[in-house]
Amino acid sequence: MTVTLASLSEQTGLAVLDHLDRSVSIPVVDGIQAQGDLIVVPMAETQSLSFWPKAEWTDVPPEGVELLRGVAGGNPHTLVADPGTCRWTRGVSEPGGLAIGVFEASAPVYLLHPEHGASGCAPGRYVVRRQREYAPGGWGSRLVAD
Amino acid sequence: MSDDAQREAAAVRAEWLGHLLSTAPADRPAAEAAISELYRLIGLDPPRFHWVPSPLAALETVPPGVRPRPSESMNRLSEWPLPPRFRRLVGDLFVQLDTRVMRSSRVLDPMIRQLVRAPITDSARSTLRMALLGEHERFGQGSAWHAALCPSWSAHYDAVRRTSGVVYTSEEERLLDLWATPARSCGWWWPREGVCVVSERPVEIHTEVSGDDGEVRLHRSDGPALRYADGWDVHAWHGTRVPAWVVDDPSVERIAREANVEVRRCAVENIGWGEYIERAGLRPVAAAPDPGNPGSELRLYETGLEETPQQAARILLAVNGSVERDGSRRRYGLAVPGVFDDPLAAAGWTYGLSAEQYARLVRRT
Repeated sequence: MTVTLASLSEQTGLAVLDHLDRSVSIPVVDGIQAQGDLIVVPMAETQSLSFWPKAEWTDVPPEGVELLRGVAGGNPHTLVADPGTCRWTRGVSEPGGLAIGVFEASAPVYLLHPEHGASGCAPGRYVVRRQREYAPGGWGSRLVAD
Repeated sequence: MSDDAQREAAAVRAEWLGHLLSTAPADRPAAEAAISELYRLIGLDPPRFHWVPSPLAALETVPPGVRPRPSESMNRLSEWPLPPRFRRLVGDLFVQLDTRVMRSSRVLDPMIRQLVRAPITDSARSTLRMALLGEHERFGQGSAWHAALCPSWSAHYDAVRRTSGVVYTSEEERLLDLWATPARSCGWWWPREGVCVVSERPVEIHTEVSGDDGEVRLHRSDGPALRYADGWDVHAWHGTRVPAWVVDDPSVERIAREANVEVRRCAVENIGWGEYIERAGLRPVAAAPDPGNPGSELRLYETGLEETPQQAARILLAVNGSVERDGSRRRYGLAVPGVFDDPLAAAGWTYGLSAEQYARLVRRT
């Protein structure tokens, strides 16, 4: 079945902004993909990520799991997968503190965002990171929120 | 920990954030009755009440007929005798409740701290307390008292009761309720022997959500974020206190004159990075096609804003991967360390990637 913004929106009950093309099929790729202030990086690209000793893995439900919620309470990045094909944990750490979690997919999974649309990830293990910017005089950097 | 407990905790948080951010006129009889009773509980007669329209008015005026002792002037709030006595009164109760209730529910305590107390403490710090600190360093001196007045305490023990099913004794209930009453009926209060100054609440407060647990901070893009009836107001841009011009009339000239780098950043954000770069004529360092974002360029600029070499930053101007409703793509500027000459290395850094890795970005939306 072709996965489109329309079908993802229906599966999750999440609305996407109506000016985005809802009928185009979402490309599924196995490389690095950015979605606004979030980036999906294949595990092979990371060197120093570690899992917490008691990292808890959860199965991604059909309606998706919210990875990151935007400012002003809206516009979350949501990870969407067919039942039994993807599990996810927040129990990871990485120098720089940008990693928010790792997901492991045995079938294509999708990241959905109301303004950015969707990105498809081929089966594999990926780390999800936030974006930062330089903050002179403060902590050196701060996380970007869009 | 059940979902029910989490839902209830979120409901308690919403309720107390509502009190923190309330703009309703004070319920003066309720506030005065509760504060009078608290005075009695520390062994003093009820005070005379002096109502002021704003915390700034409390700072700058003296109640009529009162000649405060030097040790009880507003700029020495940390030395006042009464606040520590009130703090001890409720502090003892809190310790007692923590010992008795929390021993039996070790899961609830961290949950309530995370979902209720911390977000309300943060929100108070990023709204009313931030505004006052910015106004007068003098208020920093009394921060222990202002922390005690924070509704996070009342919210915390309200949440404990509502999520644990623990029944407090009537004594405990009564003191909790007395302490909670001013927090939900009026602004801050400052107790001296014989007279208590109480502030009204603001008439306007504008915030935005700033965290995952409901935290809010001051923000308004078309006027003061906080305003009191006596005209005292505070402008804030995404949680940073700024002069009014940053919100109302930001310009390249004013930004160049501004000494504070945070204030400059807020003003630039208000103008928009793309627009600002054009107007200010920032010097481009390098440009490169944005991988994964066909047709768009990454551009690196010198800021000309840094004060010291250690603070040197450059601006990476990027273009959104997705279109806006009007068909355009939003430009945005991100500050990056000044060491970068290569736009790909700078863009990679923002995601913890090398230039080589970022160059292999397949897709951006």
